[in-house]
Amino acid sequence: MIKLENVTKSYPSKMGPQYIFKNLNFDFPTENNVAILGKNGAGKSTLFRMLAKSEYPDKGRVLTNKAMSWPVALQTGVHPQMTGRENTRFIGRINNVASLPEYEEKVQAFAELDNRFDLPVRTYSSGMRAKFVFACCMNIDFDIYLIDEATSVGDPLFRKKARASLKEKSETAGVIMVSHELDQIREFCTSTVIIDDGKLSYYADLEEGIDVYTQDAANKKSLK
Amino acid sequence: MIFALFLREFQSKFNDKFGLSWAFIEPFIFIAALSFIRGLISGDDVHSIPLFIFMMIGLVGLQTLTTNLQSVSTSIRRNKPLYAFRQVQPLAAVVTAGFVELSIKTGVIALLALSLYLLGDGFEIHDPLLLITLYILLWLFSVSIGLVFGIALAFVPEVDKIKSMLTRPLMFISCVFFSLQDLPEYLWPYFTWNPLVHFNELARYACFESYGHKGVSFSFVVEITIVFLFLSLSLYHITWKKVLSR
Repeated sequence: MIKLENVTKSYPSKMGPQYIFKNLNFDFPTENNVAILGKNGAGKSTLFRMLAKSEYPDKGRVLTNKAMSWPVALQTGVHPQMTGRENTRFIGRINNVASLPEYEEKVQAFAELDNRFDLPVRTYSSGMRAKFVFACCMNIDFDIYLIDEATSVGDPLFRKKARASLKEKSETAGVIMVSHELDQIREFCTSTVIIDDGKLSYYADLEEGIDVYTQDAANKKSLK
Repeated sequence: MIFALFLREFQSKFNDKFGLSWAFIEPFIFIAALSFIRGLISGDDVHSIPLFIFMMIGLVGLQTLTTNLQSVSTSIRRNKPLYAFRQVQPLAAVVTAGFVELSIKTGVIALLALSLYLLGDGFEIHDPLLLITLYILLWLFSVSIGLVFGIALAFVPEVDKIKSMLTRPLMFISCVFFSLQDLPEYLWPYFTWNPLVHFNELARYACFESYGHKGVSFSFVVEITIVFLFLSLSLYHITWKKVLSR
């Protein structure tokens, strides 16, 4: 459970602060795999980054006692000039991994990089990068994994593997995911949180949530 | 954590063709060449200090300030992708940049000292403790100013232009290649507001007692360092969460 207490978040702009959330109170469920759904600009990524504590709300607090991963997106924290191995070691170090060599090996095997692991990340294709970042994250034990469309770029085989490892993890840990692709969400998640107009609502049943989400979008379109 | 960042910074410097050595050699050559040229132009001694060493101290002081300022103030922005990790806060990037510069500069000073020794120009430092204190204070001072500029940069990117405009004349007003004692006394107030003047002149005094310390004061140096350290840290304290979302 992640508790959002009185969270207000805005971004400054030329037209004054743009509020994304105002006095939001919400208990974010983490027991099963949750997808965050919402339109572009509804605040999915903002919410996501606040959950990860990569960003802080203007007012209010985000409380949890779970160990959370960093928000796994395509580029986070990877230095393009450094090799895969060096990047892995860096990520391992700041996350206090028990054994660096062991972690390195696991990441190398999981990401299927073979000897390209010792080449600078800038030479990787985007698919390889996604795999690499995902591997870095999955091989550290967190209570909650935050995943931002990172897995969608991998090839089908890798997606299968990713899903398997997420399944395996979901016995001990939760996953929070942001994505636009409903197929992908159906693949990984079992429930959903929908953001609309700065308000959050939780649907324990994924299909129900997706229904509400797609109908909402359709309704709004017909109103216009 | 800072150690991890430190290694990362060094590793990314390594990727240059010259590798890490360039980081040491470039300022070394810059300082050595400028000092040497100045030595050719005029005289051997400045107020009882060999001119080469006189220049060297001034330039090391100047370089410590400007490179620290540059790298610390850009570090907040440079490490932006890393703030996705909640363990990494902007201050860590600032401290890391500071330490990277400190180790590079210390290496450069060691190189300079070694070359002086090999040239047979070695000398005995009159007050090593004062010299080391000054060096550390100068480092703290420049990291603090760098932090202030770094925060300002996060909000108003144009500050960068002002910063480079401010640092350029430093070379000419900080007693790098002249001594405060060369100037008539009524001009001193126009120069002594500048802490770098005090750092440079005191460092020369620390190396050669005979040089004296007219017109400069150690307490000014300490005070201004403390003031800027607190100013920058309190600025950081109230802004860092906003800096993250910039």
